[in-house]
Amino acid sequence: MTDLTPITALGTAEAPSVAFGPLTVAEDARLGLASLALRRGADVPEPMGLKLPGPGDCVAGAGVGAFWTGPGQWMLEAPGRAEEDFAAEVARNAPGCSVTEQTDGWAAFDIVSDAGAAPVDALLERLVNLPPASLLPGKATRTVLEHLGVFVIRRAGDRLTVLGMRSAAGSLWHALTVAAKRREDAG
Amino acid sequence: MLIPHPLLGPRDAQEFTYLGDARLLERPDPAAENAEARFCDYVYLRDNPAGVHRELWFHEHGDRSWLVVTRDTVTHEILGAELAADVKGAGA
Repeated sequence: MTDLTPITALGTAEAPSVAFGPLTVAEDARLGLASLALRRGADVPEPMGLKLPGPGDCVAGAGVGAFWTGPGQWMLEAPGRAEEDFAAEVARNAPGCSVTEQTDGWAAFDIVSDAGAAPVDALLERLVNLPPASLLPGKATRTVLEHLGVFVIRRAGDRLTVLGMRSAAGSLWHALTVAAKRREDAG
Repeated sequence: MLIPHPLLGPRDAQEFTYLGDARLLERPDPAAENAEARFCDYVYLRDNPAGVHRELWFHEHGDRSWLVVTRDTVTHEILGAELAADVKGAGA
């Protein structure tokens, strides 16, 4: 059998991680994703015991999370399970809903602060044109970042995940690292 | 320009694309007797008011919902926004 070498969205063997002062920007190559959409008139399911969040919000459950992407639509996340058929598990747990595999469509970048929420807030000011209230901890939203459509997920005050098109992973990595570097340089 | 999204709060107009007059929601019945004439009006005739106008905006870089935005075309003041699905559902 052909011996294939898996690579990350940025084309490297290992997911890169770079520190800029208190902020660390890292690719998460192991995030499994599946989208879930309700059919017309359907009831909201609770896949894997997860209570799906309302507009602009995200939730984390046991080994699985979800964020709202549109009316009647959510993205489900499974950290560390990019190599599994996560969509099939979601489909089994959400009968009657439309479930689509999304892992291969996105590149995920985690931004973690070891100095509390302030550096993340300062970085967000540079990245996205949104009111701070829409990116408080527990919020997730789709928006534009350097002309790229992205999901910005504020998992906690000191944790942020940005999901962008996998085909534009390099551009998004550039945007995130340049902004983090400039924030560091500006003190 | 900020558009007050009914679900997500104020959003930059850059996240949206513009379609036009919200009367596009009132598609004529193709089975009606005078359907051809009504479709002709529906496709070609638009009001172009200098003042308050109801128009369709698509939240393309957001939750991808259609909004009916009430805007003053003279001042660009946004007077309100609602989900087009709600407007259509209400039969307006």
